[in-house]
Amino acid sequence: MSKLFKFFTFLFLLSFQYSLGQQVVTGTVSSETGPIPGASVVIEGTTNGVLTDFDGNYAIEVSQGDVLVASYVGFTSQKLTVSGNNNLDFYLTINSLDEVVVTALGISREKKSLGYAVTEVSGENVNTIKDNNLASSLAGKVAGLQISQSGSLGSASNITIRGNNSLGGNSQALIVVDGMPINASIAGDGEGNQFTSGSNDSGGDPSYEPSISGGGITDINPDDVESITVLKGPSAAALYGSRAGNGVILITTKKGSRSNRLGVSVKTNLYVDNPMLLPDYQNEYGQGTLGNTFPDRGSGTAWTGDSWGAKLDGSSKPYYNGSMRSYSAQPNNVENFFRSAIRNITSVSVDKGSESGSVRLSYTNNSSESMVENSDLESHNFNLRAVTNLSDKLSVDAKATYFTQEVSNRASTTGAQGLLGYVYRTPRNIIMDDLRDYQMDNPATPEEFSVIRYDDGLSGNPYWMTLNDENTVRRNRFLGFLKVDYSFTNWLSAFVRVGADVTNLRDRTIHKPGRHFNSTGLLRLAENTFGELNSEFLITANHDITDKLNVIANAGGNMSKRTFEGMVNSGFNFKVPTKFFLANLSEPAPPLEFPQSIKKVNSLYGSVNLAYDNFLYLDVSTRNDWSSTLSADNRSYMYSSASLSALVHQFIDPEQKIFNLIKLRGSVAEVGNDTEPYQLNQTFTVPGTGYLGLTELQFPTVKFNPNLKPETVTSSEFGLELSMLQNRLSLDVSVYDISTEDLIYDIPVPAATGYQFERSNIGLITNKGVEISLGATLVQTRDITWSTNMFYSSNENKIEELVDGLDRFNYTRSTDGNMTIGATVGGSIGDMYGKEWTGEVDADGKPIASDLDVLLGNAQPDWLGGISNSIRYKNLSLNFLIDARIGGQIYSQTSADLDRVGASKRSLQYRETGVVLSGTNTATGAANTVNVSGQDYWAAMSGISSNYIYDQDNIRLRELSLGYRFSNIEKLGLQSANLQLVGRNLFFLSKSAEDIDPEVMLGTSLGTQGMSHNPMPTMRSIGLNLTLNF
Amino acid sequence: MKRIVLIFTGLFLIFSTSCTTDFDEINERPDALSANDVSAKYFVTNLQKGLFKPTAGPLWFGQIFHQDQYAGQHSGGHTQYAWDGNFGWEYTNWLQEGTNAWLAGYNSGITSFLNFVDEGGTLENDQYYAIGLIMKGLYYQLYTDQVGMIPYSEASNPDITLPKYDEQIDIYKGVISELDQAIAIIGSNTVTGEGVDKLLENDILFNGDMQKWKQLANSLKLRMALRAHGAPGENFAANAASEAISSGVLADSDALFTSFNEVVNIWVEHCNYGDIYYGFGDSGQWKVGEPLVNELKHNDDPRLGLISKPSVGGTVSIDISTVNSNQISFLKSTLDNAGLVLDSDYTWSQTDNKLIISIAENTHHIGLPLRLSPNIKPIFDGSLFSAPSDAVTNRSNEGGEIFPFVVMSAADSHFMIAEAIVKGLVSGDASSHYSIGLDHAMNLWGTATTSDFLASDMGSLAGTLEEQLEKIATQRWIVNYTNGYEAWAIVRDTGYPLSAITTSDDSSIRSFSGMNGEYAQRLRYIGSAYTSNGENIQAAIAKQGPDTKTTKLWWAK
Repeated sequence: MSKLFKFFTFLFLLSFQYSLGQQVVTGTVSSETGPIPGASVVIEGTTNGVLTDFDGNYAIEVSQGDVLVASYVGFTSQKLTVSGNNNLDFYLTINSLDEVVVTALGISREKKSLGYAVTEVSGENVNTIKDNNLASSLAGKVAGLQISQSGSLGSASNITIRGNNSLGGNSQALIVVDGMPINASIAGDGEGNQFTSGSNDSGGDPSYEPSISGGGITDINPDDVESITVLKGPSAAALYGSRAGNGVILITTKKGSRSNRLGVSVKTNLYVDNPMLLPDYQNEYGQGTLGNTFPDRGSGTAWTGDSWGAKLDGSSKPYYNGSMRSYSAQPNNVENFFRSAIRNITSVSVDKGSESGSVRLSYTNNSSESMVENSDLESHNFNLRAVTNLSDKLSVDAKATYFTQEVSNRASTTGAQGLLGYVYRTPRNIIMDDLRDYQMDNPATPEEFSVIRYDDGLSGNPYWMTLNDENTVRRNRFLGFLKVDYSFTNWLSAFVRVGADVTNLRDRTIHKPGRHFNSTGLLRLAENTFGELNSEFLITANHDITDKLNVIANAGGNMSKRTFEGMVNSGFNFKVPTKFFLANLSEPAPPLEFPQSIKKVNSLYGSVNLAYDNFLYLDVSTRNDWSSTLSADNRSYMYSSASLSALVHQFIDPEQKIFNLIKLRGSVAEVGNDTEPYQLNQTFTVPGTGYLGLTELQFPTVKFNPNLKPETVTSSEFGLELSMLQNRLSLDVSVYDISTEDLIYDIPVPAATGYQFERSNIGLITNKGVEISLGATLVQTRDITWSTNMFYSSNENKIEELVDGLDRFNYTRSTDGNMTIGATVGGSIGDMYGKEWTGEVDADGKPIASDLDVLLGNAQPDWLGGISNSIRYKNLSLNFLIDARIGGQIYSQTSADLDRVGASKRSLQYRETGVVLSGTNTATGAANTVNVSGQDYWAAMSGISSNYIYDQDNIRLRELSLGYRFSNIEKLGLQSANLQLVGRNLFFLSKSAEDIDPEVMLGTSLGTQGMSHNPMPTMRSIGLNLTLNF
Repeated sequence: MKRIVLIFTGLFLIFSTSCTTDFDEINERPDALSANDVSAKYFVTNLQKGLFKPTAGPLWFGQIFHQDQYAGQHSGGHTQYAWDGNFGWEYTNWLQEGTNAWLAGYNSGITSFLNFVDEGGTLENDQYYAIGLIMKGLYYQLYTDQVGMIPYSEASNPDITLPKYDEQIDIYKGVISELDQAIAIIGSNTVTGEGVDKLLENDILFNGDMQKWKQLANSLKLRMALRAHGAPGENFAANAASEAISSGVLADSDALFTSFNEVVNIWVEHCNYGDIYYGFGDSGQWKVGEPLVNELKHNDDPRLGLISKPSVGGTVSIDISTVNSNQISFLKSTLDNAGLVLDSDYTWSQTDNKLIISIAENTHHIGLPLRLSPNIKPIFDGSLFSAPSDAVTNRSNEGGEIFPFVVMSAADSHFMIAEAIVKGLVSGDASSHYSIGLDHAMNLWGTATTSDFLASDMGSLAGTLEEQLEKIATQRWIVNYTNGYEAWAIVRDTGYPLSAITTSDDSSIRSFSGMNGEYAQRLRYIGSAYTSNGENIQAAIAKQGPDTKTTKLWWAK
């Protein structure tokens, strides 16, 4: 009301002054997000000023030579001199100094007052160039955040903040949406657990057929995101308790604006996805072995799927399907398997408000095709948010989100037995389309039902797997909360909030009769429900004790209940081989039931923030958790944090001639981490099928420990923030040291103990690192602005100790057995052990692999970096992000496989001549003189994993957008209109690894980092965004 | 303000006390059983199955690729077979690891069981304890005979996480003494108890008959005594053998894992040979090994046609453009060694690039040589060689009769008594036990000795001492068909049958297999033992010899 009053007052003054012969200057104040309503435009050195209207327009009476200053909270002020021009447009850039950020428990704080590192990413930054997974859009934008993907459409990511703090599978950050922690259980996390989606021929070994579906953050609609705050260390996150040891990603979603005009926004994104890279193939030799192609199939000679045949000469030769074909190269056969996939994401939002509240409604539809045929994703996201003041003191904030998604045929894209395993090694003379005939017409006998494939080995036909097999994952999720705020006085308020997150997942997999594995057919139907209910309250007091001392105190509590229940029905052998439902199975497996498991955590917490003279800030917090997963003696545990920051520029440069900000900060924190339900008392399980129908019981393999304690994560952090030259240059440096003790881990013990593992609190892991962010506004004029941001982060993870007698343990072994991912005392999580060439050859001249595994690398990168640039010229804007991942290794089993089968370009070496390797021949004991054929050479070399360890080093142009903001569109009833051409994963500026994208890992768990095997190729997306605001 | 303090205090109390009252209850797993819910009998099935009928992994990666081939009874590596003949012979980390991990891991189950039924255990029962000791003996004998030194004396002590490796002589002594303990506990008992304690069908071998368990213990004791006999430092074999024989071995009954028809998913459940044999269409189908076919064939053994199918035969045309003349001669000698006569049983026509062989269809039994080089594979056409019989390769759940997996047979017990007599450990009529053994052995296959067989070299126990030992060893080797672990141990222990000892001096024919052509004497240790119990395994290697497949075990010939 007062703003409106001021506005009219100035309008009045303006008309008055006009009569004194002065001029009126008009214009707009805008930023990269569009016009800024309510910004002030003041004549420098006076108190004369105006506020902009809803469309960012202003008009002010000035004298020639006056300097106008436009400012708005959160933006850097801009000065322009009046020089005969009646139109002056201001373009303000975001100023991080006055930035208000959302911190733990949803408390908004001035960023400058924080004693720990946080990074905020605007909603626009993650919804301009969309990935189906919101997490992927954070890659390269936040120092200290590491994202690894696992490939296929709609799948989850591994999100690690400041290194891995836990030995177990889960070291992922906690995701909090509008103050409510959400369930981040990933169905099918690559650990082969009971949630694993799709088929799993190997009984759950992640290295065979990982099928990673989404979960947690993947269900959040980017278009609803207002901002994302990354709380990096335990210090920032201590108030979230047990789950915050790995950092927190706070997502704040949009509310309606309090403007009483109806806001309508329509956004549509259209992308075309193509493989960014595929392995390098040879195109000189075709299907066969030992230089021969095989004669006709009738002779009973097996067909190999290898490409060790004769030179491709275009002659007519027998083909895998029994016909005669031209024996010639098909250089693009693998590429032809993929299609240009169309993704269309459209969202509509409507909001309207008044002084007393607002409502926002949004709907988003995502129709995405996979680059693999017959595989797609369709989702609908409905979101309703209402905020209303019931009285001066009482207000209500409520949100309901319903998300429904169906993903078809995502199953088994990677690994040894996955779809792409059969695609990548397709013999070089096979026309991909021919494989579409994957089964005889009108089959009757089991033989006739059998898959037609390019070899007689164990391989599958990729088209069978994607066109004939079926996998559907339907996911329904409800997220909602109700929050009631009450202000007792102007300094004391409280809220109560209840939030629910319920996900229902239904996964149906069908393998049709005749398939390469499960040849009688398989049906698997799994239904899982995850739930999380949080009830909490918070009382906040904000009081100025003296002129200089301000206190904010918070006290609150939370009751969290997390549940899981599920059911799996499956079986083999369809009675009638043409319809696929449970009752049609002749070998149904006993149904598996997972009765509801419950985990409850009750918490009480409090914090005090003291601010002295806008100079010194002290935060202290403490939290006590009671976890149902621990025994009565251990279930209550408390931890605390403290941070201090000082704005020293007030002493060094009080006039702010150079420095606008110099802040020193430091913090220490401790967080406890509990465990999963049912981990204390020893029980016996009844196996699914009893042998000969007998009831049998098995002994547990893990020795439980009723005295299990929570893990403890302690961290200390120091930082320096600088801002200088009118805030055009800013620097933020953090160093941190995090250590985790009493890690809950299943120690492998000799079977002699009666168990295979013993659950214990062991060890010490440390993570030490540095994060540097540098921001600069290089150019800032009315027409052109250019700002750039850079970050660098490095983390060193070290296993300081495990337990006596255990120097190393292993997570996962690759399917070829040649690579093991583990962790070593003195080394770190993700140590890679494999074979190397001994330098000796055997009697046949073949290289001999080392008997024992040797350390070949580590899966964790040394450092990550990113440079983003934002350039605007008038209505045109250009943004691009280049990011780098340096150090760390990855084992490309893909490359090893391709060398073994002779499909890779590398396998051309020695093919015709063979090679006499220099080294000792163990048969003679003398220098080797035996020539080994190319095929034998590569067969041996492909079994020596050190040959396929690549550095993860890569620098890529991750994002590029070129946008145009249309002007003079008011006639059309539009507030704003933007058109953008966007691209993602456009190209590598540099890359060490051959054949693969080194950031695409086998799965999302720790043990699958550092391994790549037949991954889905990284998508190169190019698209158009159109955003219309009415 | 007061009100707020009150509210806050109230909330604090609610959180810290009342709301945690259900915590113990909700943390109790609803879908699992506690010790109060169970009986010892439910654990017996899994102990037996876990050792002699494990999941597909150990059967396939273990016995099928390793022991059965090393014993010379099965062979892969012909043209239709997905793997070359060297597969399993050459050390392949993941392949052997599957078996090793299973063997090393079995101890946890047996230890748990013994703790469970031991004095003071949750379900204390001495008869179950005796069963546990006998299963433990079977396990240690099987395991140590695969790799040599293993943890034994400290292996069941839960306080020792890094047990030392014992020498084989000590393991043998220890197991025999534990068998003695079991035999004494059983005494004249016939059942494990009454009511819920009474073991019946959960005992797959003997339906809870404790006297048969005692006989099994004696047979195992005799087996170990004979194997130890004459090994360096051994001084207990004679005594153990005579004790076992006088206490009573399994002379009339067999310990078998008989055929069954049930729902099987071969990827996660125990299964039969056939489930794996047919698991990959043609490409996983191995053949009968040349040594087994020839041993049966040359003595007119009536079991030949029950174990092996005649080869498909017919006319096969083989591309020989990439093979050398030695390789071709080897193929020819294979046919000749199988007793086939050129131009009467088969024709052989050879040009520069083509070889055409014609053999009568479904007539001749021809075993596939072992350890064939990958380079010779293209000429070893699958249709020339004998597949295992349907009785061996029938799949589960299809109603066909399936030959059992042999744990311990009456036949072997009689052969062992004969061996003990020939070796002079006990006195008695060796020939008679040999003959009774043959009767039981034929009976296992539902057949009886024939006059042709009785007239053959193997028909009776004649000849020099060494020849007698050779005959007994060969018959024990045949009767342990489907138990490749034991069959291979017999070959290494006795050196018979000679034909089973597959070596190579030409890597273009038989692979050197990373052993420079020598025969496989043991399997290597599980890889994880090096990281989890490194010092002790190094100490074992220092005593026993390098951890390679060519290092001979303590009792090996």
